[in-house]
Amino acid sequence: MEKKNKSSIVNIKSSIIDDIKSRFEITDIVHRRDNMTFVTCEKQKTIALITHMKTNLGFKHFVLLTAVDWIEDGKFQLTYILNNPKQKLDIAVRTMISREEATMETAHKLWKQIATYQRELKEMFGIDFPGSPRVDENFILEGWNDIPPYRRDFDTKVYAEETFFPRPGRKTNDPAEYMKKNLHK
Amino acid sequence: MAIKDILTPFTAWKKVFREPVTVKDPLNDRPGAERYRGFHKNELKTCIGCGSCEEICENEAIDLVAVKGYDTKDGDSGLRPMVDYGRCCWCALCVDVCTTGSLTLSNEYTWVAEDPEEFRFVPGAENKEWDNNELGWKKPTPNYEFYGQKRQTMEELHPEERDHSFIEMIKGYSKEQAQLEADRCVECGICIATCPANMGIPEYIKAVREDDMEYGLKVLYETNPLPEICGRICTHKCETVCSVGHNGEPLSIRWLKRYIADQVESADYKRILGTDGIENNGKTVAVIGSGPAGLSAAHYLSLLGYKVTIFEQFAQAGGMMRYGIPEYRLPYNQIDKDIDYILSLGVDIKYNTRIGKDITLSELRDKYDAVFAGTGLHLGRSTGIPGTDHENVYQAIELLNKITEGKEIHVAEKIVVIGGGNVAMDITRSLARLQNQKYGRVQMIATALESEENLPADVEEVLEAREEKAIVNAGWGPKEIEIKDGKIKGLHVVKCLSIFDAEGRFNPKFDEDNKNFFEADMVVESIGQGMDINYITEDIKAELKFGPRGRITVDENIQSDAKWLFVGGDIIQGPDVIHGIANGHKAAYGIDNFLKNK
Repeated sequence: MEKKNKSSIVNIKSSIIDDIKSRFEITDIVHRRDNMTFVTCEKQKTIALITHMKTNLGFKHFVLLTAVDWIEDGKFQLTYILNNPKQKLDIAVRTMISREEATMETAHKLWKQIATYQRELKEMFGIDFPGSPRVDENFILEGWNDIPPYRRDFDTKVYAEETFFPRPGRKTNDPAEYMKKNLHK
Repeated sequence: MAIKDILTPFTAWKKVFREPVTVKDPLNDRPGAERYRGFHKNELKTCIGCGSCEEICENEAIDLVAVKGYDTKDGDSGLRPMVDYGRCCWCALCVDVCTTGSLTLSNEYTWVAEDPEEFRFVPGAENKEWDNNELGWKKPTPNYEFYGQKRQTMEELHPEERDHSFIEMIKGYSKEQAQLEADRCVECGICIATCPANMGIPEYIKAVREDDMEYGLKVLYETNPLPEICGRICTHKCETVCSVGHNGEPLSIRWLKRYIADQVESADYKRILGTDGIENNGKTVAVIGSGPAGLSAAHYLSLLGYKVTIFEQFAQAGGMMRYGIPEYRLPYNQIDKDIDYILSLGVDIKYNTRIGKDITLSELRDKYDAVFAGTGLHLGRSTGIPGTDHENVYQAIELLNKITEGKEIHVAEKIVVIGGGNVAMDITRSLARLQNQKYGRVQMIATALESEENLPADVEEVLEAREEKAIVNAGWGPKEIEIKDGKIKGLHVVKCLSIFDAEGRFNPKFDEDNKNFFEADMVVESIGQGMDINYITEDIKAELKFGPRGRITVDENIQSDAKWLFVGGDIIQGPDVIHGIANGHKAAYGIDNFLKNK
């Protein structure tokens, strides 16, 4: 019984992927689990793809939108995870956008809660989503005056050193120096 | 303002007796999730205070502080992490990087105290209620490591490629291997205190990682002027305390040192080390013996401007490094590379000159401003069992000397070596090679008092001896060499039960009923070496103090009670190369201080 379920979901998934493939240019298809697959789509077609998935393929539920900073490649990766509640199936759509001109078409018209994710990405990565409601308002960082902190060129340590003062009375020891003082003959 | 606005708030009063919809004090029954990242726990006994947690913390939330009851010792700084929860962001990188696995996070996340200072404490050192929480964040295992757990494999000649000749068996790292190996270092520096020469180990490993061989060489020479030699045969005590070794294999520190020295051409040494044209200060020092201690003293004295003359009893320099250690472990051209550089600093060396015979110690005292003696242990010790006076019973050290000198030695078809230390393995493996050359097969047995797990030789030496088809049979006490018709028949042994008595004195106990016999027609004794300090005449001896085992007493500057005489190397410490180097280094500064204040 279990086996049948497993093979049926794989079949459903593969027909969905075939459908997407025939309409959009998708690459890097990674089957992470039987019920989860990642695909990559070019920036211009990504919103059209997820619109199609929502409208025609049953991916009614939006799970999350997140970003990764591939600083070496000069790219941000955006990942939209969508869920098909009927088939209990997740498909994640990845797209790479330029790090230099970090803007992406807003998707809040598909699911209005995406506006909140987009507002967070604007604040933490500096990725803009023009037209997204309240996208320029502070999300959690009030009065932030540095580069967005999830960008990998943001130096957390330097920021912490400059922003937060050590508590009075704090003292530390370098292990090698401390051992030199106590042990070297 | 309308009257309605004033009255409206009072309408809320009608709800005063309604059942509240909120839950009172909901936190009592809400434990953190299974892998929640809450307050730290630290097994203080397992923690070694390597400071990797402090180093990785992006928020500077961790300080390393001394904690009562945890002393600084080899392999443990005695420091423990103190966390400032005003800065901690609970990311758990400190847990994930922890070298010993002592640091974890509990799943406790609620705690109330009125004094903000209470939120800065040493986890594990104050009884916190979460100290015994099983749940919380631990480093996931396996395959979740910030640094490699396995060493880069060192390529070596297979036993059948090496057991007929004396060519070097260890091939050395490639650049790629060396960098990958160096990448495993967490730069804690716990190893430095354990190295007798206190070498700047993390710093030279960093040079390997950054492919800066010139800087690496400079770091090596700050504390050790024999890197090619030590990079091959050092006893690498540093590796026994490497923090990465707690949950994986320790760094190959010795091979990385060798890698640096191997990459730099002799011709570049003076330029890199900035030792062209050292100014002479007009003072002279005599050094007796060109072993590691003497060479190290000569090197650092030269850098300080002293004119150094070494007196060497043999035809070539290097002492035990050349005349004791076989060529397959330490090739002569590598010894020459290190020594030639030291001589290039203007050090004079008088070969074939024995103190007490060719020149006396008091002559040196009168002619030079100071004298350093590092004459080593060159006298083989005998077990004194019946039969040791037979002509085919040899001392390991005398045979090793002859092999270095290229002299022919007697190689019998069946040989027993008495001893389980590194010298015993050296002679066993050297004779195995010669047996292979002469007879086409190996019939070597090395036997030692110590049990297999307590053999004093390095583990790899024993392993490699066995790979070369020698037998190492541990745990036997020699009783008698059987001689029949003037020929050696073999060695009678009895089982050794223990070596030291309750007071820790050498007092072996045997099971006389458990006997064994090793057939042989030649026996080699290798149970340790003694010093020959007969060159120190009675009048000078009277000025000196002697400690246990007849060792000359010296102060922390390696200075003896005869103030002009400094003594170092195997005759006071060790025996090994790296202690000799450390002694020579200290002596150089000791002599400098002594002569400046004279």
